[in-house]
Formats: sequence, C-alpha cells, structure tokens
Amino acid sequence: MSTLIIGLSLSFLLFLLSAGLTLIFGMLGVINFAHGALYMLGAYVSYQIVQITGSFWLGLLFAPLIVAALGALIEIVALKRVYSRDHIFQLLLTFGLILVIDDATKLIWGFDYKQVPTPEMLTAPVALFGSQIPSYRLFVIAFGALVSLGLFLLLDRSKWGMIIRAASSDADMARTLGIDVNQVRTGVFALGSFLAALGGAITAPLVPIELGMGFSVIIDCFVVVIIGGLGNIRGAIFASLLLGMTRAVGFTYATEWVELLTFALLIGTLMFRPEGLFSYKGRSA
Amino acid sequence: MTRRTVGQTLMAIIIAAMIAIPFFLPGEQWVNLVSLILIWALFAIGFDLVFGVTGMLSFGHAALLGSGGYALTVLTLSYQVGFLPALLAAAVMGALLAFCMGLFALRVSGLFFALLTLALAQMMYILASNKLRALTGGVDGIPGVPRPDMFGINFYDNRNYYAFIVVVFLIGLAVMALLRASPFGRALRAVQANDTRASQLGHNVHALRQSAFVVSGAYAGISGGLLASLMFYISPQMLHWATSGDVMIMTVLGGKGTLLGPILGVAVFELLKEELSQVTQYWYGILGLIFILATIFLRNGIAGLFHGPDDQDQGGAS
Repeated sequence: MSTLIIGLSLSFLLFLLSAGLTLIFGMLGVINFAHGALYMLGAYVSYQIVQITGSFWLGLLFAPLIVAALGALIEIVALKRVYSRDHIFQLLLTFGLILVIDDATKLIWGFDYKQVPTPEMLTAPVALFGSQIPSYRLFVIAFGALVSLGLFLLLDRSKWGMIIRAASSDADMARTLGIDVNQVRTGVFALGSFLAALGGAITAPLVPIELGMGFSVIIDCFVVVIIGGLGNIRGAIFASLLLGMTRAVGFTYATEWVELLTFALLIGTLMFRPEGLFSYKGRSA
Repeated sequence: MTRRTVGQTLMAIIIAAMIAIPFFLPGEQWVNLVSLILIWALFAIGFDLVFGVTGMLSFGHAALLGSGGYALTVLTLSYQVGFLPALLAAAVMGALLAFCMGLFALRVSGLFFALLTLALAQMMYILASNKLRALTGGVDGIPGVPRPDMFGINFYDNRNYYAFIVVVFLIGLAVMALLRASPFGRALRAVQANDTRASQLGHNVHALRQSAFVVSGAYAGISGGLLASLMFYISPQMLHWATSGDVMIMTVLGGKGTLLGPILGVAVFELLKEELSQVTQYWYGILGLIFILATIFLRNGIAGLFHGPDDQDQGGAS
C-alpha cells in the first residue's frame, strides 16, 4: 500500500515538472535544460521563506511566484534573442543557465544540505487500508491532482488556454489575429518555471535540499517526455505514472537497480515505439 | 587571399605558437596546461565531427571519453598490455560504445538525440560508479594509470609526455582534416544541411550519422586514455554530464563546424578556468555566463571573429 502511495506522489511530482517542460516545448520549441535548476531554485526559495516567516504555506505560495518572475526575466533577456535560430542554440543557452543558476545558488545558500520541516498539521501518519501512511504524501497526491486538474482546465477550457494553443500551433496566424505572441511566450515560460518551482517547493519537506537535486530530476523528466511524447501533456501524465510507479516498486523490491530501471524503461520504449507511447507524429524536433 | 584564408592562417599560427610555448618556456605549469588543452582539443575536434559537421548535438560524449580512459587503465594495470596497444584499444572501445549508443540514440533525431544520448551517458555514469565497481573502482576511481613505456624515454617526465601528446594530437588533427575534406566529410555536411535531400541524392543518412558518431567515439576514446595517463588517475567523474557539457561549451565557444575553432575554444576555456578559479570558486557560473553571451552574440564562436560572417550556419531550418 505504501508503495502505491509513494509511487503516486512521485508520479504527480514528475507530472508537475514534465508538464512545465512539455508546455514550454510545445509553445517555444525549446527544451529547457534549466528546468531542473528552476525546480531546485523553487526548493531553496521556499526554504528561505520558511526560514523567515516560519510558514510552509507561504513558501509554497510565493516560491513558485518568485521563480516564475525569474523565468519571465530569463525569457525576455536571453531566450527571446535566439528563437529565430536552430533549436540547438536554445538548448545550449538553457544549458548555460544551469551553470549560472547552480553557482548563484552556491553563492547565496552555500554547500550545506537544507531542510524544510513538514508542516505541523501533516506530520501525523494516517491509517489507511491497514498500513500507516505519512499524511504529507497524501497531501502531495491531492495537491498534485488539484494542480494537474487546474492545468487541464486552464489549457483546455479557458480563454488563455485557447490563446496558448493557438499560438503554439501557428504563431503567424495567431499574430495576424491580434495576439501578442511574444507576450504569450513569456507567459508560457513563466508558467513552466512556476510549475517547476512548485514541484521544488512541494518536494522540499521530503528530501534534503542540495545542489545536485536539479540534475537528477531533469533526467527523469526527459525520460517522461521521451516516453510520453514531447509536447503531449496527456502522454506526460501516463508516462509520469508509469515511471513513478516503476520507481516506487523498484525501491521496494530491488533498491539497487532502481536507477537502471528508469533507463530500461526508456530503452524498452524506444525499441518498440521510437515515437513515444502516446504520440501520433514522427519524432523529429 | 580572402578574409577566410587569412583568418584560418592566423588561427593556425596561434595554435602552432601555443603548441611551441612549452618547449621554450621553463616551468611545469605551461607544460601541464597545454598538455591538458591538446588532449581536450582532440576530444573537441572529434565531438565537432558529430555536432558541427553532421549537425547532431550529442550530450553523451562523456561516456565515450570515460570508456576510453577505463579501457586504457584496466588493460595496462590488470592485463599488462603495452601503452600503445592499450591506447589503440581505448579508441576501439570508444568507437564500440559509440556504435552501441548510436543503435538506440539514432532511432530519434534532432533535440531528442541530445536527450537520449544524455540519458544513455548518465546510465553509463551510474554503471561505472556502482554496478561495475569491480572493474572501475567505483567512485574512488583507480590511481596509478601508467604513462607510455617505449624507446627508453622516460615519459613520467611531463615534458617528454607532452611531446608524445603533441605527436598524437597532430596525427589526430591531420586525419580529421582529411576526413572533413573527403567525400565522406562532404556527405556529412549534406546530412546537416538537409537530410531529406541527402537521402534523395542516394546517401544512406542513417549509416552516415552512425559512422560520424563512431569516428567521434574513437577520438573521445583516445583522449580519455591520454587524459587518464596525464592525471595518473581515473574516476567516474570523467563520465559525469558536466564533461559532456564542457566539451560542448568549448566547441561552441571556439566555433562549431570549423576545424581549428574548437581547439581555440578549448584553449580559451582552460585559460579562463585557470585564471578564474584562482580568483573565485564560482568560476563555473561565470563561465556559464560567458557561454550564454557567446551563444547570443557570437554565433560562429571565436573562429567567426577570424573568418568574418560565416555562410555555413545561418540557423533557420535544419
């Protein structure tokens, strides 16, 4: 049972991150290498807010907003200049961002592990189907589900979602219709950064906050988007579930091999469906 | 002479001067620095065959470098193989691993190739740190990697080993220059420019990509072997993603798709690292900032400064 809960909470976390990644790719055509760094930044900023205010909830609210503002700044100052070039340049640029963000984090917060305490009302374990489940894990699942639902409603049902979808499928046409595509791009990058930082802030009580956390998570996200089909949010949710559950089961039964299981899943997918499990189009970005 | 030839001659002169410096200046630090630069430069020109010439961004070259390093280390230390055969084996190992990675990674193209090579290299990194501990010494690495042992020359003297590196580097550079000018090199450029057209012209695009990756792997393997021997030490750190990132930064900084650019890129990278790391421990972040500025403003890298605006890579469709 606890395997299932851990797996689900991991899946939702992965989904928050890969949804941001895939959203940015769909709109901007950029694979954001620095997505993991923004996730890490979310965790550090929420740690800082908790240090100052003592409230986990304020951290969960403001850390993503602060990182989203930073994301918008990055998009305006740097990314905007390389859209017209080959996609590889955008990848290179976001790679450079990792180095800058990592060292800035080192400069501000130092090398030590940081810890955010679990909010008090979620410390007690809950008895569920005969096993004791940490209630924070349940909160992560509920919160993740809520955010995912909100994201779907935003993209599928709202006017903003319509604008985003229009601008990603045909930027020129959207521009002709009077949509400021530049602003939409900035907004989408900020939204992606928001989701990454939200993932970081919500993970903060679960793991020690450290410099390496960004990169290990970005690899998992890449695996999710490759399996799910990049730019495909529905694919991302299934791939997140698949990877999250695989990892949770792996942790329980074969701890030594769990890292390799991730890659086995990736290679297996590519052998049988190189275009991703949930993708219709060919794979050439 | 056109601006292009003048620029290329200038670059060649600068590189020649750099190679000559350690022979004339006393002091160990120049020898060590230029040794490091030449080994990384060999790695970078191999990397650029895939990245700059064929147009595939590999993020897994660290694994190729590391496999060569470990091949040389294990063969010389555990099986008493001579240095030159072991260096050859390092090249074969790099090429072999590149072939295997290519089997998976070449099923996708474009940005996915970058993601997939990164994931595969990360898998190799985890394998080298944990599962293959018996072979690789785990995270502690293996100390005591030997230097060459031939002609009765003492290669444990850094100056003599430097001469050895120069010879290997010049051979590697010459072979790469020939490769790039050959019909094979032209076909690779055709693949980068427009793979559909290249395939319509009768080129086997998949085989060309695979071959470029394998040749690049051989260069990486040799560089890894030389690097382990220079340091007397190898650890899984060589397979870390940052190594793949470094070679990419060097190549972009120097000018991708040019023969001599990446060499200058390596030299600038190592010099900056040397100088910055004495001033601040946050040198990698500053380097990242320089790299970002270079991608935005210096489209053709340092080589572009010598060449003038280059017509080969105007971005756009590819």
